[in-house]
Amino acid sequence: MEEEHGHGNKYGMVIDLDKCTGCGTCMVACAAENNLSVRPDESDKQHSITWMSLYKISNGKKFPDTEYSYFPRPCMHCNHHTPCVSVCPATATKIDFNTGIVSQIYARCIGCRYCMAACPYHARSFNWWDGYFPKGKGLERYLSPEVSPRMRGVVEKCSFCHHRLMRAKTKAYTENRRELEENEYITACAEACPVQAITFGDLNNPEHKVSKLAKSPYAFRLLERLGTEPKVYYLSTKDWVRKFADNYLPGEFKPVTSPKG
Amino acid sequence: MELNRRNFVKMLIGGAAGLQFTPLPWKLTDDIAIWTQNWSWLPVPQAGEFTLEKSVCTLCPGGCGIEVRKVDGRAVKIEGRTDYPVNPGGICPIGMGGLQLLYNKSIRFTGPMKRVGPRGSGIFKDISWEEASRMLTARISDLRKNGKPESVAAIDGNPGRSTMAMMVERFIKAIGSPNYIRIPSIEDTYRMSNIIMQGTEGPMAYDLENSDYVLSFGCGLLEGWGAPGRVFNAWGNWHEKSQKKNIRIVQVESRASNTASKADRWVAPRPGTEAALALGLAGVIIEKRLYDDEFINYNTFGFHDWKTADGTNHTGFKTMVLKNYSPAQTAEITGITPDRIISLAMDFIKAGAPIAIYGKGKGTLNGSLYECMAVQTLNALAGNINMPGGVIIHDPLPLNPLPAIKADAVTRRGLNRPRIDQAGSKRYPFSNSLVNNLTEAILKDSESPVDTLLVFSSNPAFTLPDHGRFEKALKKVPFIVSFSPFRDETANMADLILPDHTCLEKTNDIVWPTGLQYPMYGLARPVVEPVYDTRNMGDVIIGLAKRIGETTGASFPWESFEEVVKTRVMGLYNSGGGIVDYDGSAPAWKQQKQRGIIDQGYASFNDMWKKIKSGGMWYRPVHTYKNREGLFKTPTGKFEFFSTQVETAVYEYSKQVSRNKALKAFGIKEKGDMAFMPHYNPESAGKKETAYPLLMVPYEIINLCSNWIPGPPFLNKTLFDNELRGNDSFAEINPATASEYGLKENDRVIIKSQVGEIKVRISLFDGAMPGIVYVPSGFGHTAYDEFLKGKGVNPNDIIQAGKDPLSGQPVWWNTQVQLIKV
Amino acid sequence: MDSELIPGGVKRCSTRTFFLWTLPWIALLTWGLVSAFLCLWKGLNQTNMSNYFAFALWIVFDLSVIALGAGAFFTGFLTYIIGLKELKNIINATVIIGFICYSGAVAMLGIDIGQPIRGWFIFWHVNVHSMLAEVSFCITCYLGVLTIEYLPLILENRQADKIPALHLFSHNLHHIMAIFAATGTFLSFFHQGSLGGMYGVMYARPFAFREGFYVWPSTFFLFILSAIAAGPSFTILCTKLAEKITRKRLVPENAFQTLAKISGWLLSTYIVLKIIDTICWVYGVVPRAGLTFMDFYKEGPYGVWLLVLEIIIFGVIPAIILMTPSARKSEGWLITGCLMNCTGIVLNRFIFTIVSLAIPVMPFDKFVSYLPTWQEWGVSLALIGYGVLIFSLSYRYLPVFPKERELNPVT
Ligand SMILES: Nc1nc2c(c(=O)[nH]1)N[C@H]1C(S)=C(S)[C@@H](COP(=O)(O)OP(=O)(O)OC[C@H]3O[C@@H](n4cnc5c(=O)[nH]c(N)nc54)[C@H](O)[C@@H]3O)O[C@H]1N2
Ligand SMILES: Nc1nc2c(c(=O)[nH]1)N[C@H]1C(S)=C(S)[C@@H](COP(=O)(O)OP(=O)(O)OC[C@H]3O[C@@H](n4cnc5c(=O)[nH]c(N)nc54)[C@H](O)[C@@H]3O)O[C@H]1N2
Ligand code: SF4
Ligand code: SF4
Ligand code: SF4
Ligand code: SF4
Ligand code: SF4
Repeated sequence: MEEEHGHGNKYGMVIDLDKCTGCGTCMVACAAENNLSVRPDESDKQHSITWMSLYKISNGKKFPDTEYSYFPRPCMHCNHHTPCVSVCPATATKIDFNTGIVSQIYARCIGCRYCMAACPYHARSFNWWDGYFPKGKGLERYLSPEVSPRMRGVVEKCSFCHHRLMRAKTKAYTENRRELEENEYITACAEACPVQAITFGDLNNPEHKVSKLAKSPYAFRLLERLGTEPKVYYLSTKDWVRKFADNYLPGEFKPVTSPKG
Repeated sequence: MELNRRNFVKMLIGGAAGLQFTPLPWKLTDDIAIWTQNWSWLPVPQAGEFTLEKSVCTLCPGGCGIEVRKVDGRAVKIEGRTDYPVNPGGICPIGMGGLQLLYNKSIRFTGPMKRVGPRGSGIFKDISWEEASRMLTARISDLRKNGKPESVAAIDGNPGRSTMAMMVERFIKAIGSPNYIRIPSIEDTYRMSNIIMQGTEGPMAYDLENSDYVLSFGCGLLEGWGAPGRVFNAWGNWHEKSQKKNIRIVQVESRASNTASKADRWVAPRPGTEAALALGLAGVIIEKRLYDDEFINYNTFGFHDWKTADGTNHTGFKTMVLKNYSPAQTAEITGITPDRIISLAMDFIKAGAPIAIYGKGKGTLNGSLYECMAVQTLNALAGNINMPGGVIIHDPLPLNPLPAIKADAVTRRGLNRPRIDQAGSKRYPFSNSLVNNLTEAILKDSESPVDTLLVFSSNPAFTLPDHGRFEKALKKVPFIVSFSPFRDETANMADLILPDHTCLEKTNDIVWPTGLQYPMYGLARPVVEPVYDTRNMGDVIIGLAKRIGETTGASFPWESFEEVVKTRVMGLYNSGGGIVDYDGSAPAWKQQKQRGIIDQGYASFNDMWKKIKSGGMWYRPVHTYKNREGLFKTPTGKFEFFSTQVETAVYEYSKQVSRNKALKAFGIKEKGDMAFMPHYNPESAGKKETAYPLLMVPYEIINLCSNWIPGPPFLNKTLFDNELRGNDSFAEINPATASEYGLKENDRVIIKSQVGEIKVRISLFDGAMPGIVYVPSGFGHTAYDEFLKGKGVNPNDIIQAGKDPLSGQPVWWNTQVQLIKV
Repeated sequence: MDSELIPGGVKRCSTRTFFLWTLPWIALLTWGLVSAFLCLWKGLNQTNMSNYFAFALWIVFDLSVIALGAGAFFTGFLTYIIGLKELKNIINATVIIGFICYSGAVAMLGIDIGQPIRGWFIFWHVNVHSMLAEVSFCITCYLGVLTIEYLPLILENRQADKIPALHLFSHNLHHIMAIFAATGTFLSFFHQGSLGGMYGVMYARPFAFREGFYVWPSTFFLFILSAIAAGPSFTILCTKLAEKITRKRLVPENAFQTLAKISGWLLSTYIVLKIIDTICWVYGVVPRAGLTFMDFYKEGPYGVWLLVLEIIIFGVIPAIILMTPSARKSEGWLITGCLMNCTGIVLNRFIFTIVSLAIPVMPFDKFVSYLPTWQEWGVSLALIGYGVLIFSLSYRYLPVFPKERELNPVT
């Protein structure tokens, strides 16, 4: 189960933080695409559900030298010894070695939340309540049949819009193709981002833009040194932003000095 | 059987094993598992046939191309379109959440209704369309019969230039009332500025995509300014690493908004002093003689000092700026150091294609006219008017005008009455609507001059600065009719509701999205069957006019709103040169560059119409840059640094009073030639009052609706917990200011102005200018449902709106306040 | 009234006194039942657990009682496998305490998971790599074992024993008890370890992560060791408490001394290893994650004092007390030592559960705090009510302490 895999697809994402404006469209797109329930009070961030979250960071300087930036954070689909997958007692979350996608099976999840404890990115949310779709409001009418609404007591998280992969594959099958074209399968957040900050594709395919971007000298991942091998990369030309991605002992952080790419 | 140890163990094992072979435990556990996976109170989305429908989002005047995913006719997702030129791909979070506005029954009117509860309570009773139309037309017909058609007034928030706005205006005029009043927006400021400086009526068109230095004075580029889909897309392209462009974005704004933070340079002048900063930059450019000599000398008026025929000496813009806005003087006003002013001016003027753009946040409300003009002088100095990457001057979109209205004696008499808001009068010669004046007029006399108020696509009781006075005025109006699809604050004050469709249910057009540099027409079409018993406002207006009959009816000879749209679009066809599709991989601009011509892709008008209806667009990428022949339509035929029209207006008005009184009435402090040139007015930076030592500045964010559209609940997920927590919204203040007042993060405070007070919590924000309290716009609804109602406070509650000189529009961007710790 | 049920030859308080004694515990239990009902009916929104505090008070309680309940298997191991005969006098009490702890823990876990009805998916869809799966398997099996160990004692009730079939049944159970003790020992070693492993394997949480041997992080072994070090102390405490309340000697002193001695030596071993482990962690895991030791002790109320308290105050000191024969022979010191030992282990479980989750890993993440709701306290404290009730009933009606009659002759 834990063996590495070099073949097959390895879907991943590169998010350009210099582009990202913190607009939150990715969050809304994700919520709309994946039938996330909205409760009357979403301001309690410890209990609200978002598969894509935004973190606002500051360079810490005083007015008027203050600068802010954002980290959009989906599930990292950790490739190595996926922290959440390895701990789940009921196999309710799995990594698919043919796609690299870390799935979440709501119908099997027992709600023990061990996966949440194991995930350092807070990528997982627990359904503390049943989905909020009060009768007579009509809110259930926009629900997509491609993703099942969740019941109370289970954990959910970003699926890399797995149903979109299924949709693309089905289309490819009907057209007698085995391989998907680049961009034939992209996630809802990548598609929605109005500044095209998110690029999605197959990290194993050198032709795909993601695999090129991931090799940029400005590319980095969150908490990379823990060894989770996230499949979500970030780009930023700003040292202070890059420094926020991981923990460094004094002198360990290396600014990008002579970028080649 | 003897119960010995052997048997005992056998029994244990046998029993345990035996149990496994009965179906009971398996059946039970399986059933239980299935039950936990199918709780009846959780919705099960129905599967069905998937379809995709293209349209245009009209939730804001940006007009993004959208694609709606449907399952058996049910809309399940809105997505951006890559085959649309405004926003090739993405959309904004509000558009993305649009389906919640479509389906959420508790925020919509599900059919025509009449009020049964007290005003503002939101208690209505269903009535039929027949009865609703009869109620309204009977009232209007009565007023006409009594010779008082002008006591019908309309407040309209439909985007300017749109066919829907035109229908509303036409309806009001055809009744015989001059009182068609538009909700203020940044478009008003652009319109007036263009008229005064360029003599053109066309839209403000900024060629951002081709600029390499964007100096934005307050435009919330990342907050939703202009056509947000377009601006965001440009932002993405500017920052495309693979293209290695060196484009610099500079944001002038007192607070570290997203735009300011993500810009390459952030310049933070005191709010309200932006005009001085612009003129200070102009001063540096002039002093160093770095301006475009050719443009200045051949195409502008009032730059140098001049002498008129009668021998009077006039001060030109150059002298005025050098005298009043030296770096040191500008620094004194704005708080920006002289070095920074000089370096900013040099960077700007030395860039290849610099552009200075003007705005205030999203542009939901008006800006300051002189400020807008001051910024425009930078473009003139750089000579980048009608240049790639500069400000483009266009004629309005060549849509067919509608035939003149038919008018009988009643109509004619009514139309000759003065407008209640005095817009367009000698006192307010450049404004076309002044809601604030309407409010005051209603409040002034014991009886409201407005008998019947029709409200279209707007929610002034929430969005207007100092809306408390507006609400007071509403209470005095005998009969209010709302056409809103939403149960908003203003609709809750109405007596009669004739609900419009929402965006995805109706035909509607976007005429030239704000700020776009090429002529563009977007057409939204219904992508779902109306969810409730609502009707397209355009169709309703036609029906009402016909029912009123007489010349009012005759002014609306069409069968449907769509027919009107089609009639107007015919003008686009006749003007030639437009295209109706867009291919992101080979944009028309590229084709044009490569081949000189672009394929129109249609053979006849009907063909074009069909394509516009399904594709939602017409646009014309052709533009001949650099041509300045006959470009300016001012009295001098030039770009006017010194406005002869303002001078004339003051002269005309001073026939009634003295010149000084005229200037005073216009709100202009300056007495000399400076009054006719862009200049800084200290009042727009706020008065200093010791009792109210702080300034409150409202600010907007992209993921909060501060206009008339209710925010989709999904947006609540995107708000940080130092923006909204429970029902508390936050005010941002600088940590230094906070410690002066002994305030900590999360403390509750009252913000008090001379008109009222609001309660917020404190968020310490290094990006806030010291001495200023920043309050987000878009919270504090008293209408709608649990997702919006009572969440946070509305800064409009306590804004004490002054009057912008010349335009007469509200000055809403700073209010003197004090903080009281709770 | 109930004298027919009371074992022969011992003295028990009046039914009325006994009834009054149970009242507060019943109240505590009722509070817990109401809380549990609310959590099951309305869901875990009744708690203050959150997406940051995925584990909270219940899990601390769970881990603590499982550790403290280790007295059962470990005494069983010492009695049946090692053959320390003097412990036979206390073994029944340890079994009851173990049963209380484990049944309580399992019940609490049933409430803690979001979909209790699907709890058995752990067995059906098991992920053998999950420490929690291992814990669940072992705990459930061991609870079965404890029940079987407890059963003969129940059947020895004066009335039950009169029924021949039951008598025979319990007699037979007694005979195979060594097998169960062995099974229990095996299972317990594993789940105590896996509980520690649960935290130690979370390699993306540097505060909890520990390296170790093969698939087992060091916490695997440390948890076993700390449990068997604290378990006997807890047994001593409970029994001493029972003696104080009943105002009787129930167990010969030599049983206490044996347990205390073993507890002390194990604790000292544990503390030495824990210190070594902490040093390895400080110089291994921590800098590799780009952090310094102090980075973990700057958030909220969690300072280095926690570590000092856990290792020195509640580790080294009780170890010394319990290892020193003269000290442990004084009842006051004995109880102090045991109490400190138990506190140390509870603190350890608290730190691994709460502090692990409270310390943000992403540099831009923020520290959030957690306070349990009354429902959480209810469920947790109910365990105490439940425990006291079970123990009191057992003591009253079952021959729990074989030497009671001898030590307290009824005159
Ligand atoms: N990794 C993986 N393995 C799986 C599954 C999975 O999801 N993942 N799913 C499992 C399931 S549910 C199933 S049903 C099986 C399916 O496994 P298979 O039954 O092997 O299904 P296919 O791969 O579709 O192959 C069917 C073959 O039939 C041929 N064929 C098509 N039409 C005809 C026809 O008219 N006549 C004849 N003679 N041949 C025809 C096709 O060319 C193809 O070679 O796979 C199982 N195995
Ligand atoms: N394009 C394409 N389409 C196909 C086929 C194909 O080859 N190509 N094959 C067809 C065939 S033969 C079949 S059998 C179907 C299979 O189609 P599906 O039945 O849709 O099978 P899966 O894709 O395996 O999806 C099963 C889902 O259940 C979840 N799941 C896993 N365990 C549990 C559980 O215990 N409870 C619940 N409730 N959910 C669980 C998984 O995470 C997954 O999301 O597809 C058919 N459709
Ligand atoms: S949609 Fe794009 S720009 Fe907006 S927050 Fe998400 S990643 Fe950033
Ligand atoms: S980010 Fe968290 S949830 Fe996602 S794969 Fe990694 S550990 Fe699992
Ligand atoms: S909460 Fe669900 S997915 Fe997470 S570890 Fe437990 S069973 Fe697995
Ligand atoms: S990939 Fe899909 S599921 Fe994940 S954050 Fe983006 S939209 Fe949401
Ligand atoms: S920017 Fe305006 S038009 Fe575009 S999606 Fe958002 S609301 Fe709709």
